[in-house]
Amino acid sequence: MSDAALPAAQVVRPSRLRRLEPVTFLWIALIAALLVLVAAPILKMVVISFEEQDTGVFTIQNYLTAYGRARYLEALRNSLMLGALSAAISVVIAVPMAWAVSRTDMPGKGFTWATVLAAFIMPPYLGAIGWILLAGPNSGWFNVTWRALTGTTDSLVNVYTFTGMAFVIALHSFPLVFIFVKSALDLISSEMEDAANVLGGGTWVTMRRVTLPLVWPSILGGFILIFLETIALFGTPAIIGIPARINVVTTQLWQFFEDPVRVEVAAAYAIPLLLVTVGLISVQKLMLARKGFVSQTGKGGERRQIRLGPWRWALFGWCLLVALLAVGSPLLVLLQASFAKAWGRGFSFDNLTFRNYEFLLFEHDMAPQAVWNTVWFSGASATIAVVLALLVAYIVVRRLMRFADVLGFLAMAPFVIPGIVMAIGFYAAYAGPPLSLYGSALLIILAFASRFLPIAYASSQAAIRAVHPEMEEAARILGSGRLHAIRKVTAPLLKTSLLGGWLVVFIVASRELSAAIFLVGPRTRTMSVLLYDLTEQGNFEVVSAFGGILLVITLAIVGIGMKLVGRDFMLRRE
Amino acid sequence: MFLIDRRQMLALAAWSAAATRAWADSPMNPQERELYEAAKREGEITWYTGQYSADASEAAGRAFNERYPGVRCNVVRSTSQVAFQRLSQDFRAGVGQCDVFSSTNGGHYVQLKRQNRLVKFRPVNADGLLPILRRPDPDDYFQSSFLGIYLMGHNTTMVSEAEAPKSWTDILDPKWKDKLAVGHPGYSGAIGLWALQMRTMFGPDYLRRFERNKPQVGRSSIDPVTMMTAGERAVGVAVPSASTLFAASRGNPLKLIYPTEGVIAAMSPSAIPTNAPHPNAAKLFQEFQTGPALSTAVRLLFNESIRPDVPPPEGSRPLDQVTMLAPSLEEADKGVPEVREQWREIFGV
Amino acid sequence: MPRLTLSGLTKAYGKLTVVDSVDLTLEEGEFVSLLGPSGCGKTTTLRMIAGFIDPTGGSISVDGAVLSAPGAVVPPERRGMSMIFQSYAIWPNMTVAENVAFGLKLRKLTREEVTRRVGEMLEVVKLDHLAHRYPAELSGGQQQRVALARAIVVKPAVLLLDEPLSNLDANLREEMRFEIRRLHDEFRITTVYVTHDQAEAMATSDRIAVMNAGRIEQVDAPHLLYTRPRTRFVAGFVGRTNLLEAQVSSGMLRVDGIALGPSAQPDGPVLVSLRPQAMTIHEAQPPLPGPVFEASIAERTYLGESWDYVVQPQGSSLRLRAAAAPLEAHEVGRRVWLAIDPRQVSVVQ
Repeated sequence: MSDAALPAAQVVRPSRLRRLEPVTFLWIALIAALLVLVAAPILKMVVISFEEQDTGVFTIQNYLTAYGRARYLEALRNSLMLGALSAAISVVIAVPMAWAVSRTDMPGKGFTWATVLAAFIMPPYLGAIGWILLAGPNSGWFNVTWRALTGTTDSLVNVYTFTGMAFVIALHSFPLVFIFVKSALDLISSEMEDAANVLGGGTWVTMRRVTLPLVWPSILGGFILIFLETIALFGTPAIIGIPARINVVTTQLWQFFEDPVRVEVAAAYAIPLLLVTVGLISVQKLMLARKGFVSQTGKGGERRQIRLGPWRWALFGWCLLVALLAVGSPLLVLLQASFAKAWGRGFSFDNLTFRNYEFLLFEHDMAPQAVWNTVWFSGASATIAVVLALLVAYIVVRRLMRFADVLGFLAMAPFVIPGIVMAIGFYAAYAGPPLSLYGSALLIILAFASRFLPIAYASSQAAIRAVHPEMEEAARILGSGRLHAIRKVTAPLLKTSLLGGWLVVFIVASRELSAAIFLVGPRTRTMSVLLYDLTEQGNFEVVSAFGGILLVITLAIVGIGMKLVGRDFMLRRE
Repeated sequence: MFLIDRRQMLALAAWSAAATRAWADSPMNPQERELYEAAKREGEITWYTGQYSADASEAAGRAFNERYPGVRCNVVRSTSQVAFQRLSQDFRAGVGQCDVFSSTNGGHYVQLKRQNRLVKFRPVNADGLLPILRRPDPDDYFQSSFLGIYLMGHNTTMVSEAEAPKSWTDILDPKWKDKLAVGHPGYSGAIGLWALQMRTMFGPDYLRRFERNKPQVGRSSIDPVTMMTAGERAVGVAVPSASTLFAASRGNPLKLIYPTEGVIAAMSPSAIPTNAPHPNAAKLFQEFQTGPALSTAVRLLFNESIRPDVPPPEGSRPLDQVTMLAPSLEEADKGVPEVREQWREIFGV
Repeated sequence: MPRLTLSGLTKAYGKLTVVDSVDLTLEEGEFVSLLGPSGCGKTTTLRMIAGFIDPTGGSISVDGAVLSAPGAVVPPERRGMSMIFQSYAIWPNMTVAENVAFGLKLRKLTREEVTRRVGEMLEVVKLDHLAHRYPAELSGGQQQRVALARAIVVKPAVLLLDEPLSNLDANLREEMRFEIRRLHDEFRITTVYVTHDQAEAMATSDRIAVMNAGRIEQVDAPHLLYTRPRTRFVAGFVGRTNLLEAQVSSGMLRVDGIALGPSAQPDGPVLVSLRPQAMTIHEAQPPLPGPVFEASIAERTYLGESWDYVVQPQGSSLRLRAAAAPLEAHEVGRRVWLAIDPRQVSVVQ
């Protein structure tokens, strides 16, 4: 070999120096960031739950107070039941839709997909307001119409009930289940179904006994996710739950923040909730441990659509019904209210006006500021979350360090913490001296980044997994250092996924209420908090108009996302 | 500003513009002028308020901006409880954000004064207020800024005037089951006052019997107005006269009920917290609140005027014809938290 | 000086030893395969040579310089090697030409030099017309060639291939096998090739190292490996064989009474490997040296290129597999004569 491009002989380097690639310093900075964002608030919260207020003396009194009253325990019970019910309803709604879109020849798939997206974009508290207008037992449109049609005095549906609340929550949570289940279904080759058919199973039997069982981890994952989200919701339980006399953990926590502020008791009340969620996640992990990981680029085999014959219209009818309930009717009633002088007067030309929008856009002091706050906070926190998540996911997936899994655990930990609890932790850790971040934009941005880190992490992890490590190894063996390989090979391949992840975090952050409500100061109110404050004004017309503005902005971002990243950026596996 | 038909709109616009300008241009007293100069250097004032409705608060803010160009008023409107909560969090965090604090719960002020968190200041304009409002605090740590009348209302299409309840005890009658709506003392200072007054006048059993009629519980005292407007409930309990009249003026079928025992008068003050970031602007705002400019602005939205030289709003009974009930500040400070706990036990939320 | 030396190379994960004291030497320009079933440690060995895995014992040297030793490993980017991965690892966001140029650019060559070399290489692998295509537009075989071009263009000291053909279908595999050997011959690169497919190994290699459970069982030229397997595993793994328990007594090798020929082995039991090709079947007693005896056809299968007979010698319970040309058809049950080539009788350890 006359002109060997690289000399083959090299001096052997001592091992310690070798371990310390320049990237190591980067990883240390990462750990510091994770500690600040995740570990510190949680730890602080655990610590103060054992502290007496103002003195810091050790005590278990907080726990006794938190669990001493039947009312508080009942709130906990209500939360758990609400979570289970909402999750169950979400599964019932979403699974048929996912199956229909993924595996059959049902018509209107684009429409169904649009429905899912719309239901996802609509903030749950906005939906709640819409459903109050639709299903209030006396004045709700549905009930009024029902009474007009049938002549009875009863109401058809009452949103101010446990079931009503669970239903309203499910209508905006089911997209998550849909996404999970559809992604999993997409990977199943038709050969699975063919095998069952050949042995005599018809379409429905095959679906029940072969197809759905194959994706039960995704169904379970979706169920658990919705359960956890529901028990952490603040907006809907405040708006519907209070009139419905249903106290849940989040509204109870709010009470502990009433004057005098009892953060310590709030922390004590929140900790067992944490344990419940940690327990659930562990159980889920155990159950799924045996399942092999299917790469996004895995060879799933050919996928053919199942022909359903006339039944495809029945399925489409189902999707249509969901569209009407989740998106169509709330949107309609909100739109009507937003353009009404007095929404109770119903549809009539002399009831139309632009006043509500005008008021918000040009005369209300906080509305434009709130819009700006939302965009700025959501964007900043999405960026932080995605960058952090990417770096952590890289270390974990490529197993760069011995305790890489700890990093991964930290990155996912906020997932098990209800947003409101996270907010309390941040409040406890950073709002007061020495940092005194209370009311500042930084506090909210950090809290959001921490809260949504798991979403960014799951998406980054999936994205990096899909890049075969051999891609980087191929670069390295040719002479490229690791960072250079990441820059030239891995990063370009991740671009689309990253952008998709960023957008999802942005959208979710822009509607976040439960965490924001504890942390915003007067000038840092987000649109969601302002909307919540407006609902206390009794001015449904302005509330609806503001909701309309919120929706328009979200839609704009989503539209941009779809252009940049592709139509299905939100349906990627998370 | 609000939605009525064009003719009325134009007339009112002309009158209000003239009036506002009149008061906007009215001369400042020397203390006011001095404060104005100092406030201009500070540039803004942040107002935590749970007293006036959002519209009225915004209107007040605009009136302030017009009268004192160069000093911007940031209106932060929420329920009184939430406003107090935010103020408490500010103090606890060692951060000063609020310049003037206005709550419908007088007990808040007793507490704040006790904690030495208020600035002593008496605006010159305070001497021109209605006599009962002139000196809420002998030590001048807080000044009257709001007179809220809380009574009942009914949706005239659901319940005729003849059938409507006439007194606070009327609504305990079982025939009003599922027809009532009320706010929540945990969120609204005014409801706390009402509940306390009911307990004082009719005993602890009142709330229990009231609960048996399954009223729809909202958050703010304005929620029942929404429920009546929607047609969801027929009668609103402890609703603010201002919001009810406002809703009626927009064409909704609502009417006020003046209970025979009397109406709840929330004579609520405003105060300057010690950690106010703009102290001079804060004092200027206090002058503004006790002066005619505020009352002129808010009466257009049916709020009571707190000065004799500014007439009461359209559609409300003159105050000398009405029995006004109110717990004292000390009673409120002690009793409202108690009655709040009681409420939670009885109602479950 | 040998180009690549593996000396006592060991890798253990806790209690599990995956590579157990492997010794192997490659001269410059040699093509050696690591052949074995999955789990035998061949890929781990390859990745240790590449520097992706650190050894727990032993060392790896190139041209005399130690590159890997426990705790002291030169990182992959500095070893001067190239690797073809099982997944090809062609970067989808770069064109064919960019893929191939990657390594050259890292070696700080001028742009003209890079273009020239890339062009030459693409011609050699017959992809010059696809230089500006993206990998997604290429077939499996073409992607394979890109990987080859990319690896060879940097003139590595050692070229490593990790089961590169396992993703291709049978026809393409043969073609690519030939390509790889051709490129090796043209550039005389020292090559280590990992595979589980013995046909592949035999078609391409100068020598084959058969691995089992982390150890090298035998390293030999392909035909020697085939005809003279030294262990039971090698005999069974490389090609089909009859493994017979035989006895050496008084210098004579016998199995089940049949004399196979003289043997220099000491007396005692031995294992004998007898390939199907080592036997021929005749209708009449052939005049051949070496063991010849009567037998009958127990089974037969036609494989297209040959017959696969199971033959049972007279008076023995042995069932021997023998191969025959397509035209040599014998019916089941027929009495035939079996002749064994004494040179292909291999005593296995």
